[in-house]
Amino acid sequence: MSSEKNKPTVQTTGHAWDGDLQEYNNPLPMWWLWTFYASAIFALVYWVLYPAWPIGDSYTKGMMNEITYTTSDGKTTTTHWNTRALFLKEMQEARESQKQYLEDINASTFEQIASDEGKSAFAYSSAKVLFADNCAACHQAGGNGVVGYYPNLLDDAWLWGGSYSKIQESITNGRNGSMPGFKTSLTTKQVSDVSDYVLSLSGNSVDASAAKRGKAVFTGQGGCVACHGADAKGQTFMGSANLTDKIWTIADVDGADTAEAKKAAVMNLINNGKTRQMPAWKERLSATEIKILTFYVKQLSASK
Amino acid sequence: MVASSAPGSSPVEQYNYDIVRKFTIMALVWGVLGMSAGVWIASELAWPFLNFDIAEITFGRLRPVHTTLVIFGFGGSALFATSYYIVQRTCQTRLFSDGAANFTFWGWQIAIGSAAISYMLGYTQAREYAEMVWPIDLLITVTWVTYLVIYVMTLRRRSQPHIYVANWFFIAFILATALLHVFNNMAVPVHMFSLESYSLHAGVQDAMTQWWYGHNAVGFFLTAAFLGMMYYFIPKQVGRPVYSYRLSIIHFWALIFLYMWVGGHHLHWTALPDWTSTLAAGFSILLLMPSWGGMINGIMTLSGAWDKLRTDPIIRFMVVSLSFYGMSTFEGPLMSLKSVNALSHYTDWTIGHVHSGALGWVAMISFGSFYHLIPRLWGTKMYSERLIFAHFWLATIGIVVYISALWVAGIGQGLLLRAFDEYGNLAYTFIETVSFLHQPYVIRAFGGALFLTGTILMGYNTLMTIIKSKKEQAEIEAKIAAKLANA
Repeated sequence: MSSEKNKPTVQTTGHAWDGDLQEYNNPLPMWWLWTFYASAIFALVYWVLYPAWPIGDSYTKGMMNEITYTTSDGKTTTTHWNTRALFLKEMQEARESQKQYLEDINASTFEQIASDEGKSAFAYSSAKVLFADNCAACHQAGGNGVVGYYPNLLDDAWLWGGSYSKIQESITNGRNGSMPGFKTSLTTKQVSDVSDYVLSLSGNSVDASAAKRGKAVFTGQGGCVACHGADAKGQTFMGSANLTDKIWTIADVDGADTAEAKKAAVMNLINNGKTRQMPAWKERLSATEIKILTFYVKQLSASK
Repeated sequence: MVASSAPGSSPVEQYNYDIVRKFTIMALVWGVLGMSAGVWIASELAWPFLNFDIAEITFGRLRPVHTTLVIFGFGGSALFATSYYIVQRTCQTRLFSDGAANFTFWGWQIAIGSAAISYMLGYTQAREYAEMVWPIDLLITVTWVTYLVIYVMTLRRRSQPHIYVANWFFIAFILATALLHVFNNMAVPVHMFSLESYSLHAGVQDAMTQWWYGHNAVGFFLTAAFLGMMYYFIPKQVGRPVYSYRLSIIHFWALIFLYMWVGGHHLHWTALPDWTSTLAAGFSILLLMPSWGGMINGIMTLSGAWDKLRTDPIIRFMVVSLSFYGMSTFEGPLMSLKSVNALSHYTDWTIGHVHSGALGWVAMISFGSFYHLIPRLWGTKMYSERLIFAHFWLATIGIVVYISALWVAGIGQGLLLRAFDEYGNLAYTFIETVSFLHQPYVIRAFGGALFLTGTILMGYNTLMTIIKSKKEQAEIEAKIAAKLANA
């Protein structure tokens, strides 16, 4: 709009403030007015279609906008549009779109899932997010765990058993692992000797005579065999570690540079013990989701 | 116009500029501090190690420090300054009661300062934009009622037959803010010497009250009041009459009627009954054109003075502020629709939207107004016009970078969270939707830093202007003294 055209025709309101402050009396721009009317029509239509205005104890329910949904227990409901019904409807659609896959997973053995490309592809797609959203906080995004805290799931060494059924049990019911500390029941010398012995089991070079004394403590006064077994290979029913396999999940032997540091790590564990807990997931995840995770976790270590 | 430094030595100035100067300086102080806090927490989001495991400076505590300092410290002080200036000049009368005006100054500054400190110590009401604990709320209430009394009494003493449009907006802002503040902060202290309190409202009604307050803080504090600023400083700066008196009446009443209804659109897809939030969404759509009424009136007032854009950096601030005002008041109604909100809510799109209003509109119109105001308050020219240009470009580029980064972050995050693969499983893990944000967060922090740099330049420019003014004043007095000695 050119102001030259405006000035002669449009008058100010005739008031002036603070010297030169004035106001033209231009009419409302027509496009502004019509767009305002259009927005009013939009709002009215929106209010007609959705629940909108309160009336007494109730409210307008919205028109031509009904939602029919079926919940997982088979109950079908038809209601006026509302956020919760829409959510349940979307959940129903999602359930239906996955129904066939989930039935296949439930009906198959783990081996059948592994050998069937379609089933395993679905399981991987589902497990990727399940694992990252539920398990990765402890076991880490790649499943490699944190030494001293959370077991590595990639190394095919299983404290509680590595069969499908054992893994499924671990996820479903959780696990409580506990090694007592021996600070009070053994002397420092004895702990030192046992440490030499334990290190020797996985091929570390140690003082042979100390290891020999340690073996006596291991099988005798220390009572280590009660959990770790006479062969020191651990027992999966109680989650005791295999001490012969070069895999260290709590004492960070692999991370230590010197022989002294390795021994110090083992001694620290024997002195102070360690309690760890894996939570039970049966309340949080469905049986099918646990089955999918079991399959996935097993594959993680198998692929290594 | 020039201040008399020693009261009593010369006739009292016609208007109370002393209070305007004090609020102007504090607006800039809080602006620099609040925006620094903003850049810092934006950086914490991009690089979490910056929390340094110090509780007082973690994101959760510094975030309300940032919002309180920029909205109430910077924005609030700017509104006190400009409203006190405008009401005196358009009513042609001195502000009612210097003592009361000084009380509003100290009350407001103490409230802002103690709020910031209490947040860092971990004291909060956990109500967004109303985190202040109850003793601070009481101080604000007393301060605000005094503000209302001063404003109304000054209007009543006016020597002009009519009340200028800017004052309508300020009165609406002061009344509505009083109402919002009191009803949102109704709480029962745990005991007399405790800073903790229980809200009087419960559950979803509490949430509703909180957002009735929250959105009207946007509507009346950050919109209506700054429109008042716009209605005075734009016609003054360009030297042209306001485009349309009729439009100003219509959009004023539409704006203040409609804003009160829309808070519920912050609670789509929650436990709030659907009818409540749909009602709010409808009113949000209705609000689009009344908001644009203010933008049109501003832009059309500027039209005809476009040639001044090349030479006058102040007009540039004003044009950009109106453009961002129009943009964010279009984006707001759009985001208030349930289907759009399903994507945008709980993502950084919301934060981007708020900043297009807060940086683009609120801060830019304040900067423009201050550059008009400061030379008049201190009776001299701005120290450097080149610094004003530099400020303009830093601020404008900063906003654009900031908002674009958060559009990418917000819309991207929204889409990642709702993506499914061909098996109907979630396509992305939660952590993927978080790590996706890193890059946009870095760019956002950079945009914010540009904006902050501009504000620091303004603070420096203002400081040098004040020093210059004192020097000029001293020279004049020396000359007069010399003349008197010769006579």
